[in-house]
Amino acid sequence: MTPAHTVAERGGTGRRGVLGTIGHTLRVIMRYPTGAFGLFLLALVVIVALIGPLISPYGPFDVVQTAQGRIARLVPPSSVALLGTTNQGNDVLSQLLYGTRVALMVGVISAIGSVVLGTLIGLVSGYFGGKVDEAIMRFTDVAFGIPFLPFALIVISVAGPSLPLVILLVTLFLWRTTSRVIRAQVLTLKTRPFVWAARAAGASEWRILFVHIAPNVLPLSFLYMAIGVQGGVMLEAALSFLGFGDPNVVSWGSMLNQSFRAGAMRSAWWWVIPPGVALSLFVISVFMVTRAYEELLNPRLRET
Amino acid sequence: MNNLRLYLLRRLALLLFVTAAVLTILFVMFKLLPGNPLSVFIDSNFSEEMIRRQKQLWGLDDPLWLQYVRYMWNMLTFNFGTSFFQMTPVRDIVVEKLLHTGAMIVPAVVLSVVLGTLLGSWLGWRRGSRQEGAVVIGLLALRSVPSFFVGIIVLMVFSYNLGWFPPGGMVSIGGHGDSFLGTILSLDFLYHLVLPCLVLMTREITSPALLLRSTMLEVKGSDFLDILRAKGLPERRIVMHATRNALLPLVTDVAVMMGFLFQGQVLLEIIFAWPGVGRELVTALNDLDYPVAQACFFVMALIILMFNFVADVLYAFIDPRVALS
Amino acid sequence: MGVLELRDLCIEYSLGNGAALAVDKVSLAIGEGEYLGLVGESGCGKSTIAKAILGILPRNGRVVSGEILYRGRDIVGLSVAEMNRLRWQAIALIPQSAMNGFDPVYTVEQQIAEAIDAHVDWPVARKRERIDEMFALVGLERSRLTDYPHQFSGGMRQRAMIAMAMVLDPDVVVADEPTTGLDVIVQDQILHRIKQIHTSLKKTMLLITHDMAVVAENCDRIAVMYAGKLVEHGAHDVFERPFHPYTMGLCNAFPDLADVGRALVSIPMAPPPLDAMPPGCRFAERCPFATDLCRSEEPELSSVGEGHAAACHYIARAEEFRERARLYETWQAGAVAT
Ligand SMILES: Nc1ncnc2c1ncn2[C@@H]1O[C@H](COP(=O)(O)OP(=O)(O)OP(=O)(O)O)[C@@H](O)[C@H]1O
Ligand code: SF4
Ligand SMILES: [Mg+2]
Repeated sequence: MTPAHTVAERGGTGRRGVLGTIGHTLRVIMRYPTGAFGLFLLALVVIVALIGPLISPYGPFDVVQTAQGRIARLVPPSSVALLGTTNQGNDVLSQLLYGTRVALMVGVISAIGSVVLGTLIGLVSGYFGGKVDEAIMRFTDVAFGIPFLPFALIVISVAGPSLPLVILLVTLFLWRTTSRVIRAQVLTLKTRPFVWAARAAGASEWRILFVHIAPNVLPLSFLYMAIGVQGGVMLEAALSFLGFGDPNVVSWGSMLNQSFRAGAMRSAWWWVIPPGVALSLFVISVFMVTRAYEELLNPRLRET
Repeated sequence: MNNLRLYLLRRLALLLFVTAAVLTILFVMFKLLPGNPLSVFIDSNFSEEMIRRQKQLWGLDDPLWLQYVRYMWNMLTFNFGTSFFQMTPVRDIVVEKLLHTGAMIVPAVVLSVVLGTLLGSWLGWRRGSRQEGAVVIGLLALRSVPSFFVGIIVLMVFSYNLGWFPPGGMVSIGGHGDSFLGTILSLDFLYHLVLPCLVLMTREITSPALLLRSTMLEVKGSDFLDILRAKGLPERRIVMHATRNALLPLVTDVAVMMGFLFQGQVLLEIIFAWPGVGRELVTALNDLDYPVAQACFFVMALIILMFNFVADVLYAFIDPRVALS
Repeated sequence: MGVLELRDLCIEYSLGNGAALAVDKVSLAIGEGEYLGLVGESGCGKSTIAKAILGILPRNGRVVSGEILYRGRDIVGLSVAEMNRLRWQAIALIPQSAMNGFDPVYTVEQQIAEAIDAHVDWPVARKRERIDEMFALVGLERSRLTDYPHQFSGGMRQRAMIAMAMVLDPDVVVADEPTTGLDVIVQDQILHRIKQIHTSLKKTMLLITHDMAVVAENCDRIAVMYAGKLVEHGAHDVFERPFHPYTMGLCNAFPDLADVGRALVSIPMAPPPLDAMPPGCRFAERCPFATDLCRSEEPELSSVGEGHAAACHYIARAEEFRERARLYETWQAGAVAT
């Protein structure tokens, strides 16, 4: 899990520029067939999340009418509703398109939040060591001792379901692993010569930490951010599936919840399959991209 | 030996500390969060007697510290109070549900570990081949598919469409044996177990398989195997050395997996209508039956912590390097 | 006749896309009670020879031709059972990688006892006594016997390895760079210990190292390898009057052998890769005296004195080469000169 080279050894990221680095990373990911496939799917998800509401035939809660003017309940896929309708007469395709945005939003926001949190905690804990580290590590142990799903269910049922709360909970769940990994990385980095050199040159501790060490753990942070997107999407779906999601928002998980409760598994496959497949494809695409990115970070991984 | 004892003591202290911390968080959560469960409860239409009893149990009029101490004591002595609805001691409910959950998880984990280990050794053996690459990618992808969706699909196909297996539940209606043991030894139970167990396995098999694959590679390349050969040891002794080393990380993995499953199977219990502790938690929360919810949460947390502890301890015994680092 | 003898030994590693000849027609003999040093740069095939002798070549390694004679009997291609009978009792190994040479999950004592159990049926007391004796021999405290390998320092682990190698009083001991990764003082102690064992027990031994000075100090005879070939061998004469330019270079590269007050000279560049061996003399690319003849025709080992042979086309000009080899400029100019 160690990056093959530190930034200092490569001569700094600065040479390439941020955009250049991103471009380079994408090109490398594209080199793996699975990575390219994942990127393609992911791009599709992002586009749908952005323009979904524009192209969707109905609103998520709109009731589709039959030609006779009756509510179109549980209509199989047809020209009226391409993916059929729910038992409330909602259009499955529209819900699916709207749900994409929710999935991406939860995934990205909680991933960013957790990685920022986890990276900061890991940096401080690993670099300063001693009592600070000890305290943070025990805190992390406690966080790892909390079973996420039950905890989230209780908090939601007490505080009331809402999308921001779900995002917050997922964030609180995801930071733990990131901080442990970053801490371990910092522990090895801080013994490297370039840290000594910076200290000898009179850099302050915080400067060393944020200017010299932090850039070297960033690639790892990005990796965990990607993994976090995967986790975030999955957890949101799980909570919504259990009926603890935001009732005012349509997400893939809540679609599965509704269809499961309505017994659609028996009768209306078109209501069950699309959200599940969308969820799986999204998660797998993120996974494929992270896998390629991981290999970029550490070629040795291929060996193990 | 001294080192080992010190290590065990430290682990034990950590276990106690984390348990206490998790309990405290639970306490604070119920105290601080808006919509205090008791207010929900008291506003609803329960008998005076129950309200009094619950108030007493919670000691709502006492100072906070006393409430805290009493709560901690009750939890740590597994004195969870009485269910709002079922009128039975929560402890009995939770114990029963835990057993049910275990009845689903244990067979799945055992099968996953055995099959995963075999698969992993095969992968380690065939390293670099095309099949190996394909299987590894498949396993990794499998790990990222949400298992509750796999559960739904499996149910749709094998139960609703093909009708091979029951659509859920742990036993047929009226099929309860006289005892837990009687139940889980019945054919009817096994029949109900097949689908959820398979779904759990699709996910859980990946971890031992991938783990064993990489440790096998590592052990096969280690210098000490050469020396063992040079010493003129018989083949089976050498295999024994290799296996013992390759299995080391698996012990932790299995223990952690067990602990994690005790909370992660909530979704599958819902899908397969399995009367386990996770489903009980969801039901209790929907019914605002907070004593049960609290107890379910606590035992799940405790089980995770216990399994992690067991993993650490076992590992220290089988790998002498651990206790000293 | 030697106790251990290699005859035209060729060892090959099969790679994904072909094969690499790591040891090419090496012939060597170690006499009774003799201490032979085998030197050469990293990658020249020393460990490969050691592994072949013990029959523990990796899966992709194979003796393609030649013989390994132990007391006159060819041990190449023996069955596992037959080989196991020879291992550790007839030929024991002190490995290059003592750091990882022990199984981490068993105590050192268990692993030494395991070696005994594999070959002889001794009562527990006798085993204990013997292991104690071995620990004393290598200068380790017996209280450390029940420790796990990771509780030992690098030097201690290497000593324990030596103890394990000596426990069945083997006929021949092969020590493959027994001091790699240790600090200089510990290296000296360990080598001293091995030398002592050699002299006091009259053991037949093969010491593999890349350090000329070590061989000069410890061994009776020396064999120099370069890129899978034996290029020179002989007694102490080799250090005083080397005939192969590579040996001259090696002697120059170590302080004890070089004249005092003169800058140390090291041989520039690295040996050719196994899969791209030049047609002529393998050292030609780095040899300051190489000629067209060298680059096209491979020199054979030929006798240059009593029990002393070298594989160079220009053994007749050795005197002149030796003079020039002392100069820094000679090596810097590389193969362009002459
Ligand atoms: N398993 C293997 N497969 C392919 N090539 C190998 C294998 N083992 C060794 N080699 C190659 O064979 C050559 C000789 O290796 P060997 O280990 O014998 O060298 P050595 O002289 O012992 O070097 P060192 O001083 O580094 O130990 C090297 O070029 C090495 O790369
Ligand atoms: S044969 Fe030629 S190249 Fe080889 S060592 Fe002798 S002089 Fe140098
Ligand atoms: Mg070697």
